[in-house]
Order: sequence, then structure tokens, then C-alpha cells
Amino acid sequence: MNQILVIAWREITRLRKRFGGGASPLAVVLLLAVLGLSAYSLRDTVSLGSGLYRVGVSGDVPEINDSRFAVIEVSAEEGQTLLADQSIDLLIIDEDVFSRADDKSQFAERALKQYMEKSELVRVGNSFAEADAFPLRVGINYLSAEQPPAGNDAVDALPQSTKPEEIIIPSLTPPPAPFTQVLVALIYILPITFISIFFTSSFMDEKSNRRLTILLSAPVTPLQIILGKMLPYAVFALSTTILIAYLTKGDIPLALMIFAPTTLFIFAIYLMVPLFYRNFKDTTFISMLVTTMTTAYLVFPAMFTNSSDLAYISPLTLAVKMYRAEPFGWREYLLPSLPMTAIFGFAMFAGTRLLNEEFLMGYKPITRKIGDAIYLMMAHSKPWFAVTLWSLLVIPAVYMAQVVMLAFATNLPVGLILGATLLTAALIEEVIKTVGIVVLAERGVVTSVREIIGLSFLSALGFLIGEKLLLLISVSVVSQANVSSALFGAGVFLLIPLAAHFIFTSLVTLMRIKLRFPYWLALALGTIAHFFYNATVMRGGL
Amino acid sequence: MIFPFLAIFKKELTSVLRDRTIIISILIQFFIASFSSGLLLGMLSLYDPDTILRFSDGGIRVGVVGDAESPLARLMSERGLGVTTYPTIQEAQAGFYRNEVLALVDTPRDANGNTEVKLYLPDSDTISSLIRMVIQEPLKQYENYLRAEKGIEVRYTDLQGKPATSFEFVYSVLIPMLMFFPAFVAGSMSIDMITEEVEGKTLQTLLSAPLTISGMIGAKITAAVFLAVLQCIAWLTLMQVNNIVIQNTGWILLLALVIAGISSTSAALSAAFLQDRERSQFTYSLLLLAGVGISTLLNISPITTLSRLAVGDAYTNGWNVLVFALFFALLFGLLLRVSRRLKS
Repeated sequence: MNQILVIAWREITRLRKRFGGGASPLAVVLLLAVLGLSAYSLRDTVSLGSGLYRVGVSGDVPEINDSRFAVIEVSAEEGQTLLADQSIDLLIIDEDVFSRADDKSQFAERALKQYMEKSELVRVGNSFAEADAFPLRVGINYLSAEQPPAGNDAVDALPQSTKPEEIIIPSLTPPPAPFTQVLVALIYILPITFISIFFTSSFMDEKSNRRLTILLSAPVTPLQIILGKMLPYAVFALSTTILIAYLTKGDIPLALMIFAPTTLFIFAIYLMVPLFYRNFKDTTFISMLVTTMTTAYLVFPAMFTNSSDLAYISPLTLAVKMYRAEPFGWREYLLPSLPMTAIFGFAMFAGTRLLNEEFLMGYKPITRKIGDAIYLMMAHSKPWFAVTLWSLLVIPAVYMAQVVMLAFATNLPVGLILGATLLTAALIEEVIKTVGIVVLAERGVVTSVREIIGLSFLSALGFLIGEKLLLLISVSVVSQANVSSALFGAGVFLLIPLAAHFIFTSLVTLMRIKLRFPYWLALALGTIAHFFYNATVMRGGL
Repeated sequence: MIFPFLAIFKKELTSVLRDRTIIISILIQFFIASFSSGLLLGMLSLYDPDTILRFSDGGIRVGVVGDAESPLARLMSERGLGVTTYPTIQEAQAGFYRNEVLALVDTPRDANGNTEVKLYLPDSDTISSLIRMVIQEPLKQYENYLRAEKGIEVRYTDLQGKPATSFEFVYSVLIPMLMFFPAFVAGSMSIDMITEEVEGKTLQTLLSAPLTISGMIGAKITAAVFLAVLQCIAWLTLMQVNNIVIQNTGWILLLALVIAGISSTSAALSAAFLQDRERSQFTYSLLLLAGVGISTLLNISPITTLSRLAVGDAYTNGWNVLVFALFFALLFGLLLRVSRRLKS
């Protein structure tokens, strides 16, 4: 622990020197002022559709204060001409709005409708007494799914609500879409990502100065180095979480509970960047890729809060629930948090294995570098143990990759979504199950057909156990029905997927190692076989 | 003079191609584009009443206590909801449990003339939020009806139009994103190319060749901008293949080039001042944020200019692009003066 603190202190000193020395205070103040100003100017003006529509106004028309509209004052005749030759999209003369039949003019009309609804509401609210301006109250009640038993007084009784009645004013209460809360939840993620980029930079700086080599020769373990360097940044990231929760009036302990696993996850991902980069450009691009993927993983499911239970795969859903003061249970908490913490654990393990001079300084194609990394992680134990454990432990990463793929696949035409998701899922699974064995074979650890088949079986077994464990957690959240007992109770049903996983894994590994197929080709063939198996299962064929 | 310039230009391009980094960059853009439009599609189908009603095809049935000709019932059927009437709330409730309707609406009027509607929704989060989404519009219209009864007139209520979300997304988010993201990447890349020479101590060797420092930086920026423009051309072609109509493609490409130039030059400026990657990238990203903010504040945002060019706005043309080109020229002039700092 002491060593970790020493390294953490050294990291703070390094950061202070780097950003403290030479920077003129005036420049810093100026930059901060400019940033504040930009944030202020962006706050209101940036919206979907900014600057797209031109509107001509004539006569008594309320002021249009919306970045989507550029307003020109015209006379009535001039306006009609401009509208006809498509110079403007809409013409407003007093209370009449003129549009053309083409799409752009129609889009502008809908946008104006949205704006006018709001501005008229403000006008009405300001000019009349509240009871007159908002004459309608709607009491929202919820009926239980089961019909209540009919009692003696059932004839007069009002329906019983399962929750307290919620009174709303329709024009002032938007329907419950979670956009705003997701955006607020995203505010937590941005500083964490930003801070972890500094963490990455620090490692890179040490790597290019070769100071990391010196540190490695000191009597500290790689794990202590990683944790020590991570500590200041992690503390800083968690402080921003507390600050944001305080400023947005969230529940601070709950926010910490939700975002601590997310913070660990983001740091884990960013730890991989300096380990694998070969030059500066690599770092820039890998960091960008990582940011995109993690944002997609976090934001996409959360948008479907309350629409689908699958939304719980993202921790942002929990934050949305927190802001809506809706309760959630331990299972809902563990569904996003466990895989993230597991990935952090795995990254720590990988980090301790990879933090050595030979690996860090080697300049090789990225695929070779990944191969080396996997080998280094496996080399310290017996192949049978390493392969099984590998397949089991990377399951959370597989699951996350598949969620991201699903998010992207929704962009395809509806007919292709399922197919594309199944295909990429099959590819990811085949890579994970076979890559360990292939790497071991390339370094001569595994040679005979018997060994390959044996390891393929163990890899399939490890994968299946991990997959089912994960499914057990998700199923218990996603549906309270007895699906889990149907899935896990009957032993014979597990044998079919085990056999399938085993066959595909052996197929790919044998093609690669014994038949000397290029790895991509072996993978492609295995993926296609796996895809057809999945498709058959989904059609109820097995 | 021109040969060393070309040599560096070529060296940077081959390095980007060899390291496959450009593929990651294209992947990122593809991911962001497809992710955001996938998100929009999901949002539309879940949270947009028009889309919900179109796909439900009259399948959302609401039970109303009272008369089918009551204003609220009429507004709901006009909106496309199926309305079933029941004489009493108890019968309506029985109808709900017979699965005849998904929700119930009851309109008792209280003593002082204010209307209180009671809405009974199923306990399931998914269905109840769906119904709240589609019933919002008739409720708002009913509110206007009640206001009119009290003599309060709300203007502009008869506006219609077509749902504009997809249109606004494509022209104000997707196209600017695909045109400017390569430009921002070009900036980051310029910093990497320059600081790599400084931190790797290869700068002095490079300068012993017949090449000036500004020539060297110029070549690196040109390579970055060249790659950005190539990506923009690819995206524009891809979007047009997908039937997205884009006007003024020539001006759009020029604007993308100029913005890539501005971001690369300001990136090179911060690299020339700070001389290490960590601080330069940090300063560059802050400058980028500040630039976007200030341009919005001054009402000459390149994003808006690009959106307007793409939709074929009658008042936007090459002159608007020229403003940015002028700024680029000034910035580049400044860089030429400052770049000597790198030698020391």
C-alpha cells in the first residue's frame, strides 16, 4: 500500500511540473474565460436543425427566438414571391402561415408548430390567471395487472390505483422520454473520460522517456505501478462525480455507487491504450475509438429506460432512475456493474503481465502485438487451465462488444438487423474461443491434434459456463418468470450448445494450425457454421 | 524546395496507411454516424407519437366514460386512437380487464368549473409510457378547447407540416459531423506528427536536410488536410448513393478543407508553443471547444454554414466560405512566424 501511495505522489508531482511550469497564468485565465463564454453561448443556441429554415414575417407576428429559424422582415407581396421561388420556407402574415407543398417547407411548418406551441403557452401563462390559462388537470393512475376481487361495494367504488395518483397539466408536462436524464447522466461520463485520457498520456510520457523502464527495475510490482499511477486520477474522477451529483441535486452516495464501476471500467479500457500503442498517432486514434465505443455502450441502452428491461445493461439507466426517484433493486444494480468491475479486474491482470520492457518497446503490427499480449497472459500457467480461464473471463467483454454491435446494427434495414447481429456475435465468439489456442500453437506450446481438440473442448466449456452465468444474472433481471429454470434446470439442454461450441472451436483451430489456413479464413468458415447453427436454434429447430 | 516538401508529405501519408490508423479513423466516423442514426431511429419508434400511431395501425384502444361525441373523445379519435365508450367507470374497468381497451379516460367536472380528467393506465412501464406519448396531443388540444370556453384564444394552433426530426438530424448533425470530424482528426494528427519529431529527437536530423522548419510543418499539415478531404469526398459520395440530396458539394468540400486547415494550423501552433504531445493535445481540444463556442456566438458558425449549403439555402454561397478561408490564411501566417520556436 505504501508503495502505491509513493507512486501516486510521484504522479501528482509529475503532473504539477508538466502543467504548472511555463504556463502563463494570464493565458490560463484567458482560456478559461473563453471556455466559459463558449459554454454560455452554446447552452441555448445549439439545437437539432440549427439554421435550417428561413421564415419571412409581415405584420403582427410574435418574435421567433429559435436557432432553427432565420427570420426576414418582408412585405406581404414580396413574401409571396420569395416563398414561391423557394428563397424562404414559410411566410407568416399576422396570424396566417403560408407554406409550400414540398418537403422542406412542410418540415419548417412542423418545426414552427413546435415553437409556437411553446411560445403561446408562455404568453397565455403570463397574461391570464393560472386557473384560466391552465384549465385542465389530469390525474394519472395505474391499474394492477390482475383484476381486483369484486367486493360488496364494487358498484360505486372507483378503480384502485397501484401507485399514488400523479396530477399533471398536459401542456406543461412532457411525456416521460428519458432524454434529459440521459444527458445529465452523460455529464458524469465526460469528465471521467477526460481524466482517463490524462492517465493514458502519463503512461505514454513515461514510456517514451523510458522512465517506465527505470520504474520497472525498482523493487515494486507492475500492479503497484499501475494502481499508484491510477490512484490520483481515480480519486479526481470520483470527486467530479460527487460534485456533479451535488450540483444536479442527485443522491451523492447512490451516484458514487452507480459510477464507481463505470469509472473503473473506463480506466481499465484506457490502460490498454498505452500498453499497445506504437506511435503517437496510434494513441490518438485508439483513444477516439475507445471513447466512441464506450459512449455507445453507455448511452444507447439508457435511452430505452422504462421501455425495455434490457436498458439495465447500461449504468446510465440506473442514473436515469435515480433522477426520476424511481427505485431499483440489487439485481438491476449488478447487471451493469458486475461486467464492468470484471473487466477492470481482467485489465489489471493483463496490465501486470504486459508491463515489461520487451512488450512495451516492441514495434510490431498491431495483430502481432495482440497475439504477444494474449501469450504473455497465458504463459504462466498450464495450457489447459489458461485456455479454460481465458474463455470464461473474457465473457463480460464479449457481452459488451455484442451490445455495441447491436446498437450499430439497428441502423441497418429492419430485415438485416437480426442477421447482422447474429453474424457479428458468432464472429466475436469464435475469435474469443480460438485465439488463445492459436496463439499457443504459434509459439510451439501446443502441437498435436489431440491437444488441439482437448483444448477446444475446454475453451468451449469455459465459454459456456461464463455465458450461462451471465445469462443467469440478466434473465433474473429482464424477466421475473421461470425462464431461468427452463434454461438451466434441464441438463440435457446444455449438452447441445456445448457440443456446438466445441465443434466450431475445433473446426477453426484445426483449420488454422493443422491445415495452415490463414486465421481470417478459418474464422470466416467457423463463423458461417456458427451463424447457421444460431439461425436454426432461433427458428426452433433444435 | 518542392522535393523535400513532397518527400515529407509522402512519408506521412505512407506512415498513416502502413499503420492502418486511417482505418480506425474511418471506423470511428462510421460508428458515430450509424450509432447516432440508429439511436434516432430507436427514439423515433419509441418516443414519437406519429411513428407509434402509424405502426400501431389503430391498435391503441382507449376506453372513455360517457359520450363518444364528447370533445376529448372526438379529439382522440381524430388523432387516430381507437375509442370505445362505456356508460360508467365500473363498466369501463371491466372492459379494461376483458382486454377491450389499453387505458381508461374519465372526465368528471369539479365544482368550480375546472376539469379534471382521470387517466387509468396499465401497470406496465412500457405500455403506459407509450400511451402517455400518444395521448399527449389530444389532451393538449382539449386544453385549448377548455381555454377557448373561458375566452382565451391560443394562436397558430392549426399548423400541420411533416415530422422534421430526420431531416433536421441529417442536415444539421450527420452531414456536418461527417464533414468536420476528419478536420478535427487532422488537427490531432498534426500534433502527433510534429511532437513525435520533437520528442523522438529526430527534428534536428530532419532539418539538416535542405528543408526549412516552415516547409516541414507545411508538408505535415498538407498531408493531414489531404487525408481529411479524401474522407469527406468518400462520405459525400456514400451519402449521395444513399439518396441524401446534398447541394453545393463543391463549396462544401472547400469549406471542409478550410476547416481542416484551420484546425491543423491551430494544432500546429499549440505544438510549436508547447513542444510535447500531452499538453499540445490538451490545449488543442480546449481551443477546439472555444472555437466552436465563439463562432456560434459571432453567428458565423461553420456548422450552420455547412447545413445551409447542403440544403441549398438561397442566401448562403461561396462568400460565406471565404470568411473562413481568410481566417485560415491569417492563422497560417501566424504559424509561419511562430514555427521558428521549434528549432530552439
